[in-house]
Amino acid sequence: MDVFTILMGVMTIGALCFSFKKDKKKTLEALKKAFYMGRGMAVSIFSVIFAIGFILAIFPPEHLSALVSRQNSWLATVSAALFGTVTLIPAFIVFPLIGTLMRSGLSITPAVAFLTTLTMVGIATFPLEKKQFGLKFALARNGLSFVFAIAIAVLMGVILQ
Amino acid sequence: MKGRTFIKNNKFACFMVIMYGMALLMAPKIAVKSVQNSAYYLKEMLMIMPVIFVLTALLDTWVPTETISRFLGKEAKSKGTFVAFVIGSVSAGPIYAGFPFCYTLYRKGASIQNVVIMLSAWAVVKLPMLLNEAKFLGGAFMALRWGLTVIAILLYSKMMGWWVKDADIPCDEAPLSETPRVNTDACMGCGLCAKRYPSVFIMVQKKAVISKEWTVDHDLLNAAVRECPVKAIVH
Repeated sequence: MDVFTILMGVMTIGALCFSFKKDKKKTLEALKKAFYMGRGMAVSIFSVIFAIGFILAIFPPEHLSALVSRQNSWLATVSAALFGTVTLIPAFIVFPLIGTLMRSGLSITPAVAFLTTLTMVGIATFPLEKKQFGLKFALARNGLSFVFAIAIAVLMGVILQ
Repeated sequence: MKGRTFIKNNKFACFMVIMYGMALLMAPKIAVKSVQNSAYYLKEMLMIMPVIFVLTALLDTWVPTETISRFLGKEAKSKGTFVAFVIGSVSAGPIYAGFPFCYTLYRKGASIQNVVIMLSAWAVVKLPMLLNEAKFLGGAFMALRWGLTVIAILLYSKMMGWWVKDADIPCDEAPLSETPRVNTDACMGCGLCAKRYPSVFIMVQKKAVISKEWTVDHDLLNAAVRECPVKAIVH
């Protein structure tokens, strides 16, 4: 186990104890909520994990990373950002995948572009956003998020490389 | 009949089962390799997922969204920005549960700029995710990406405030009414509301709906709104 898993575990147990001491009923409610959240998402999470395993068996991470690195870096970054825009996977499944890809040579800029648009821009949720807030709002928010995601990716590439 | 609805509700999972079956028949090597790959992610996820869900639920239970959302008005300046960030980051549930929730706050007087901050924070700035990112990609990577993201959100929410006006946002004809609704896009069919408040909610095809013979009981309803894990009940 690594430092962050332990840190998160300790934090959660601490928060639980504190919460339990303050209000038993509320804590039990929170635990129930956590259980239902997990149960509701379990099937889709497991399917995505098995899908990632399958894709990586057909295209090994070294090949994927090499494929991205061979491209023009602007093209790679914009495609990664577009890919993040159309995908709808919970971010916490993506972190270990990006970790694997970066260890096998994926450069920072496309990785960040993908991670950032994945959560900030949503094609799949666009109709829902439009219905609620109108076309102009949805277009502006998603468009600006996309542009800023690329800017964040480029900046991170410059700073961390 | 029950199997049929299960397939309909879990199309992707069934597709993956078929893919694995086919791989097992045609290329057993790939199937074995896939299972090995998946096992690594599965192990990592099983270790981290319960923690993420418990942390998220605790935050959601203890930070009283209703009371702090008072600070979101058009005149509230830095305080409103901060509150919007907090509401977005501690809320549980997917972003599409955030749309109706933030829309309700907008109707209650939150500014467009703060709505944008809330939605973006809802999508990106989650405390449990932050730790998870640090675990897999390193602390420096995480800190820098989140720092830049917060700056980006501040900048573009300001731009949206100039650009998008109140007239651009469709007005939901139904006034903030007595009648609760269930947002079927967000409801994931956990059944918590139907189990706890059977007088108000019933489950129909894995979604919660308002029972026809429900009686107005605001305490009950507000409790249900608070307890829904994905904030699918709008009142």
